[in-house]
Amino acid sequence: MTAWRGPRLRDALRLYVITDRGLARGRPESEIAREAIAGGATAIQLRWKTGPLSEALRVGRELRELCRQSNVLFVVNDRVDLALVLEADGVHLGVNDVPVADARQLVGQDMVIGFSPETLEQAIDAEAAGADYLGVGPVFPTRTKLDAGPAVGLGHLERIARAVRIPVVGIGGITVDNAGAVIRAGAVGVAVISAVVGADDVRAAAARLRQVVDEAAGLR
Amino acid sequence: MTTQRWVPRLHLISEPSVCSWERLTVLLPALLEAGVEAIHVRSRQAPASELLTVACTFRRLVAPPRILVVNDRVDLAVLSEADGVHLPEHGLRVAMVRRLLGGGRLVGRSVHSVEAAQEAVREGCDYLLFGNVFETDSKPGAPGRGLAELRAVAGAVSVPVIAVGGITPARVAEVLVAGAYGVAVIRGVLGADDPVGAVVAYRQEVDEVLRHGDPRRVERETRRTRWSADAG
Repeated sequence: MTAWRGPRLRDALRLYVITDRGLARGRPESEIAREAIAGGATAIQLRWKTGPLSEALRVGRELRELCRQSNVLFVVNDRVDLALVLEADGVHLGVNDVPVADARQLVGQDMVIGFSPETLEQAIDAEAAGADYLGVGPVFPTRTKLDAGPAVGLGHLERIARAVRIPVVGIGGITVDNAGAVIRAGAVGVAVISAVVGADDVRAAAARLRQVVDEAAGLR
Repeated sequence: MTTQRWVPRLHLISEPSVCSWERLTVLLPALLEAGVEAIHVRSRQAPASELLTVACTFRRLVAPPRILVVNDRVDLAVLSEADGVHLPEHGLRVAMVRRLLGGGRLVGRSVHSVEAAQEAVREGCDYLLFGNVFETDSKPGAPGRGLAELRAVAGAVSVPVIAVGGITPARVAEVLVAGAYGVAVIRGVLGADDPVGAVVAYRQEVDEVLRHGDPRRVERETRRTRWSADAG
């Protein structure tokens, strides 16, 4: 098993799908993830905002196994302890979570740490503190994350992508229609929730997004 | 691991909506001095970064034998060098927690039934928190589970059971008589006009029962007091 940190990470961030039980319309996370991976998702993030942790553990174990089998990056949102317990490949942190440097101390040198900066300064600080990639957004208006604030736009993403060496993923309101612009602004990939998790055909939605990302990145 | 860990009798659980972190930070040394043995850092709303800052601040104020306990989040407990973790009934498993936390730390769990209590002991909890015993503003709309249920839980397990929920100093004796090893309070202290005085009152009640040794004797005395009060 090659480590995810390093050059390999860029490819693993191309199509990053975040779970959301509310948008899945009753379909279990494992089904969504399996279909998303079949369509071309390169990373799956377990995002758990409500409900008992025992349920997050159960779902997390399923996703862990799925991602391992498919060689897909498995990331846990917010909780470093849950990421460790689930043997996740990565943990994703926001400005109100455990600081990146503290998280690095807990997870050691193998686990990927992602961070969502709100400002350019936070982005630069996170890189210095040991973050491996950044999630920047919301690039476009979104209603999935009600706490996400107003859209920051492509310009903001571009400024951050130019200022750091670690890969940047765009997030927030990304669809097949605008994913290409996100990549051209400097992102290595796109992170999506509703565009994939909320789709009638999850596999097809993931495949279309992946195609747009790959084309914009000049890989096809 | 069968190492017997010392379990505090008087626990204080934070609730920033009742007493702000700033105020609790100022009060904490006096509360510990007055007899609080364990302070639990807990808030359903506060983000992890805030809880970590608070736990690290409290860490500097809480010295042995008193202990600092972090609720739910083992990552924050490790980073703040807390003495223990308190898990919700459906939180992480104890074995996982001990792996992350290392040895010598206290791990407890909230339970709301005999079955959950027995399961928590099987997986290796050092203590249990049972409640809410009485009605409390901390759990609006939830009727107290009562002393009989507390007695059933305490009688079913081999580890200390800490009672929580609506426990006033006047109710400490009956709670301990029902089998609780200690009590945990939120509003009883943090919502009091004189929090330090409240801790002193709780402490006196706990110590009073402990001095009598066998709780059953206390039960007899409590009953006798009640009879004489009735007779009077």
